[in-house]
Amino acid sequence: MSTRAESLAAARPAAPNLRLRVNARKALSVALILVVWQAIVSLGGMNPLFLPSPAAVLVSAWELILSGQLPWAVLVSLNRIVQGFVYGSLVGIALGLLAGAIKWVDDVVDPWVAAIYPIPKSALFPLFLLWFGLGDSSKIVTISVGVLFLVLINTVTGVKSINPLLLKAAQDLGATRAQVFVKVILPGALPNIFTGLRLGIGMALILVFITEIEATKAGLGFLLWEAFQLLDTTRVFVGVVTFGVLGILSSWALQWLERVCCPWARR
Amino acid sequence: MILELRNVGKRWTIERTGEQIVALESIDLDVGAGEFLILLGPSGCGKSTLLQIVAGLEGATSGAVRFPDVDRAGNRKRTSMVFQEYALFPWRTVLDNVVFGPEVRHVAPATREAAARRLIDLVNLTGFERRYPHELSGGMRQRVALARALANDPDILLFDEPLAALDAQTRRILQDELVRIWGETRKTFIYVTHSLEEAVLLGTRIVVMTARPGRIKQTVDVRVDRPRHLSGRAEAGLLDLVDGLLREEVERAMASDMVVRS
Repeated sequence: MSTRAESLAAARPAAPNLRLRVNARKALSVALILVVWQAIVSLGGMNPLFLPSPAAVLVSAWELILSGQLPWAVLVSLNRIVQGFVYGSLVGIALGLLAGAIKWVDDVVDPWVAAIYPIPKSALFPLFLLWFGLGDSSKIVTISVGVLFLVLINTVTGVKSINPLLLKAAQDLGATRAQVFVKVILPGALPNIFTGLRLGIGMALILVFITEIEATKAGLGFLLWEAFQLLDTTRVFVGVVTFGVLGILSSWALQWLERVCCPWARR
Repeated sequence: MILELRNVGKRWTIERTGEQIVALESIDLDVGAGEFLILLGPSGCGKSTLLQIVAGLEGATSGAVRFPDVDRAGNRKRTSMVFQEYALFPWRTVLDNVVFGPEVRHVAPATREAAARRLIDLVNLTGFERRYPHELSGGMRQRVALARALANDPDILLFDEPLAALDAQTRRILQDELVRIWGETRKTFIYVTHSLEEAVLLGTRIVVMTARPGRIKQTVDVRVDRPRHLSGRAEAGLLDLVDGLLREEVERAMASDMVVRS
């Protein structure tokens, strides 16, 4: 006990200093790359068709923001991402918990997972276009299916990784089957569910881009692809960077949610 | 009698070979209220299985388990189990672990929390209510498990080698704690162990079991005053007696093990 308290006390004053240094290194790394990039373009006479300067990308982004094109594109894509992600996750979690906990559900679900999981979900998009039309639905369904399988598989793994002794203890303490499901299986699988969600959000970003290349007139993917077809490389960069920002923000949001939901698994 | 076992038996079938294994055979045992009963036997003699059968977590293949004197009134459980590996819910704090039984049995929140706090105090963990299990030492975790088992106010507490995973020092402390808590709660303890010393230090009665198939070999009443010490004369005599009984069975278990393996 005392050794732990001592080591904590010793570590505390050093911590902010260390963090400052780590963050300074990270900022420096980013700044350095940007400076080198800018230098290559402006001093090396690089054709901006292949590599626009970071300054030009920033200017273009600012224009796109002011004109409302970029915010609108983000909003349209975000709507598809969030809906697809939420539907896919909910179905994936529910099905995964049931399949993990009940043998016959597993038997029913398993062949479909085995059959559909290996298919690139982008390959299903043409079918969904046929079935659900050119609007948002076909894109949301594609994203949902992509997210669903990742979340489902990780949820099943989570349920099966629960220490069977915990189920026994819950039963011994008087829990009914339903209570075991809600109070042991669900929280026990939660860390793995979050692994599935993290993979799922990455998949959602990939699929939103792919589904926005064709058959739509709005969204971040559309903005990027249209810019490419017009050979407006600067704008392509704006699209790429915006996707990156969306990726970072969504992963932060998930990390926050995980900390709230799994306070015992704090890393 | 608070517990009666009549001709209890348990068989397994190994699915792969179809071979039948007799884990327990014709167990007859009466346990009186307030006993600290030790089930002692070599590894694999089925003593843990017997405990699971009493807990209702396993079914017996033959015989009967009865609780003649158990008060059925109110929202009570007959038995509660303390497992060797603690089996605490890692996502629940100490308090929330202790409260689990009453919670699933729909005891009012204020009542169950007050009761849980009293039990946490009984096992000397006051101040640790908000900790998670992974923030506690093994000994502390086992204290939580004990408080959690007590929270359902069972008549009988079942212990499945609860101290086997702990270091020697912690084990000694918790042995004393168990005797104290047994005395304060006046519950019936049924305690599985393969440790001779533990049996002599803790029990009011020691049931020595045979190697597989598990039967009751002999029952030894322990009439030694507490506090007990392994160096005491009465204790030493008892150790010798039980050691002799146990040694035969351990040797038999090893011999049959070799037959099975060869």
